[in-house]
Amino acid sequence: MFLSLRAPLLPCLALLAALALGPLAARAADAVAPAAAPAPAAGGAASAPALPAAAASAPAAPATPVALDSQAQALKADVIALNRDLLVLEEELLFPASTQVAVFLSMDVGLMFDLDSVQLKVDDKLVSNYLYTPTEVAALHRGGVQRLYLGNLRAGAHEVVATFTGKGPHERDYRRGATVRFDKGTEPQYLELKISDVQAKLQPEFVVKVWK
Amino acid sequence: MRAPAMPARARRLPVCALAAGLLLGALVAGPALAAASDETPPVAVPRAVQDLPWGDSLFWFFQDRPFDALSSLMVNQHFGRMAHHADEAEVLRGGLLLTYGMHEEAGRVFEQLIARQAARPVRDRAWYYLARIRYQRDRADEAWQALQHIEAALAGPLEEDRQLLAAQVQMARGDFAGAAQTLDALTQAQAQAGPFWRRSAVSRFARYNLGVALVRSGQTARGGPLLEALATEPAADEEARALRDQANVALGFSALQQGRPAEARRVLERVRLNGPQSNKALLGFGWAAASLKKPDQALVPWAELAGRPGTDAAALEARIALPYAYNELGAGRRALALYESAIAEFDAESRRLDESIAAVGRGRLIQGLVERNPSADMGWFQSLATLPEVPHAAHLVPVLAGHEFQEGFKNYRDLLFLERHLAQWQEQLGVYGAMVDTRRQAFAQRLPAVREAEQAQGRGLAQLSARRDALAQSLSQSATQADGRAFADEREAGLLQRIARVQAVLERLSAVDTPKAAPGADTAPTAPAPDLDLAATRERLRLAAGALAWDLAQALPARRWEATKGLQAAEAGLAEARALDADLARAQREEPARFDAFAARLSALEQRLRALQPRVAALKTRLQQSLQAQAVAALQAQKDRLAGYSAQARFAVAQLHDHAQPPKDAPHAAPNP
Repeated sequence: MFLSLRAPLLPCLALLAALALGPLAARAADAVAPAAAPAPAAGGAASAPALPAAAASAPAAPATPVALDSQAQALKADVIALNRDLLVLEEELLFPASTQVAVFLSMDVGLMFDLDSVQLKVDDKLVSNYLYTPTEVAALHRGGVQRLYLGNLRAGAHEVVATFTGKGPHERDYRRGATVRFDKGTEPQYLELKISDVQAKLQPEFVVKVWK
Repeated sequence: MRAPAMPARARRLPVCALAAGLLLGALVAGPALAAASDETPPVAVPRAVQDLPWGDSLFWFFQDRPFDALSSLMVNQHFGRMAHHADEAEVLRGGLLLTYGMHEEAGRVFEQLIARQAARPVRDRAWYYLARIRYQRDRADEAWQALQHIEAALAGPLEEDRQLLAAQVQMARGDFAGAAQTLDALTQAQAQAGPFWRRSAVSRFARYNLGVALVRSGQTARGGPLLEALATEPAADEEARALRDQANVALGFSALQQGRPAEARRVLERVRLNGPQSNKALLGFGWAAASLKKPDQALVPWAELAGRPGTDAAALEARIALPYAYNELGAGRRALALYESAIAEFDAESRRLDESIAAVGRGRLIQGLVERNPSADMGWFQSLATLPEVPHAAHLVPVLAGHEFQEGFKNYRDLLFLERHLAQWQEQLGVYGAMVDTRRQAFAQRLPAVREAEQAQGRGLAQLSARRDALAQSLSQSATQADGRAFADEREAGLLQRIARVQAVLERLSAVDTPKAAPGADTAPTAPAPDLDLAATRERLRLAAGALAWDLAQALPARRWEATKGLQAAEAGLAEARALDADLARAQREEPARFDAFAARLSALEQRLRALQPRVAALKTRLQQSLQAQAVAALQAQKDRLAGYSAQARFAVAQLHDHAQPPKDAPHAAPNP
């Protein structure tokens, strides 16, 4: 049998997760992934021994599944395009550009701080109290940036206060805050809550950056 | 000889390699290299995100939530928020589309990336993915052309994947010598890369592929030793052991085919007794003995194999191979019994297959698979290890392993997800429609009411402007006259009034020559008090008026400054009010049109949604029918194979019966009419 790209494929997402640990881990994930089911041997008892190539070959591809696959591709493309248009409409309806404010959270290394939760206040009003899962923290470590809050604010001066809770160096409970004042104009406003490591102090640092 | 295998990583969907590209390639600016050692290949971790929305897409992608990642990506692309990562975003989008089996759309994405002259590394990756897609669509020549466009080595593991893909494509085009050359180069590069690569799965698979390619191209002298080395080297994990078994089975059956049964036995003996290849190895091991005219040596492997579950074709074949060996050894009775037992088992298995076919026809297979693969996202299903609860589910193992079936089921599952997603959007659209209506209604009713109330209460913009103008005029006059009285506060204004009234009273008293009046009286006396000294009172009044005038004069500069400042603030406030008024006026003109536009968009999207829902439902049904038909066909094929085995067994039984009966004289044997 030709174990080609068309052979049974293992769960792709498991590999994506494994890739976070590098190729070595990816192969480890491969090793524990479910193996393809044994294929039947071919050839009758009275016949000469057949090659496993024939024994393990997949059933011939009928025309109908191919046509259905093509239809499914087209349909999925239509639904995904509709999904995008719906999301665009939703954002324009609920969060117009003139009042839109988005708060993102990112980590730069983040080895000094094991993030547990973030509390976010805008103009002294609690708008988000987010508890992180290990998967989300891992995604942040890998370079992902979380959109923690999306809301509306009128033009003018505002204040954002973020409180970070988690484990700091030496597994000690850690709670720190960061504040920023900014002027909201008529364009969407992005703020970034950034958790980074200060190697010199062996302490985490929490910064709020106003994106222009 | 078996055709080459691909390393597990290379067998994944292209998006997996894409992930490697994202993590290890030059896609992400400013990669930070982690510590590398012989055992750990260098890993670059993306850090610099120049557009926050791009980081948001990665956040979902890294959580294995491709649909959310794709949604975030496409929306942010729509708003043009990822200018610094435009090409990377397109590569990611193409990869995510491939995750969903959308090869055609993904192909267009990569072709556009190439057409718009993206950066060379991005173009190279796009060509690589295009080659993969074309190879998957059985377009080996076009895949080869795409590979030829790659100008430089790809980043990280993608380069190995590229070389492996190139070898696959070459083999698909019948160029085994070229494939051998490609894999040879890869193997040598891996050997130079250090001990990590020599033990890696990529190395093993590459060497296996190389060996098979060489043998298939006629270079047995070069390919054989490669496979032999692979077939005997220590294996640390299950994947390596499985590949080692596969190499041994390949060598063994190759030897059998070339008439070297002793060699085949030596090689097949190395295959583990329990593993994916063990049944084939046991069958071949027995056949090698039979070929050596040593049926007694075939008994042990075939007896072992015949005792294994009958869902495996090799095990079924062993059920008639074993009596064949006994018969060869002259144990006819034993052979007969085994043949009859095999026939009974084939019949029972055939009935079980009928039950499986009926269950599949009732939809239990698809339903069971869906129940075992619940997911909040689209993409590959993961639970092939557990079989659905249908009668004799083990029959379905080969069916589930089939590529067509897996692709079809993935599509079916994706459509289920999209069907739920569309239903949620339908509900949400109703809410948004109501929201737009409410806003439109509130806007139409409240704005005019607010304006009318403002006018009625004298808070209209024109009225406020008039008041401001009057104040400005007063201020100007007071400044000209240096008159502090214009800035008198309430208390001082009261005092000024009292002074004026007293002055008026005193003047009237003087006129009637009334000698006295009560000092400090607020009201006009009708007759002067007998003891009032007018002159003294006038003097006191003059002094009080003077003191008040002095105070007012002293406070004048500060009060004038305050008043000027207040007026300026009022002007600023009025300007803001005018701007707001203009905004309101514009809103009054434009908002209804905006609401109409939203409503129209909502309506159009709802129409699209409603048009898609029946399409999804219909295709889902057709896919289910197709999957069931595939499963039934595969089960029917198993049944046909069983019938073939059964027929052979019955024929052998008849032959054994014939041989067992003493020859009879024909005239005596002939039945009497």
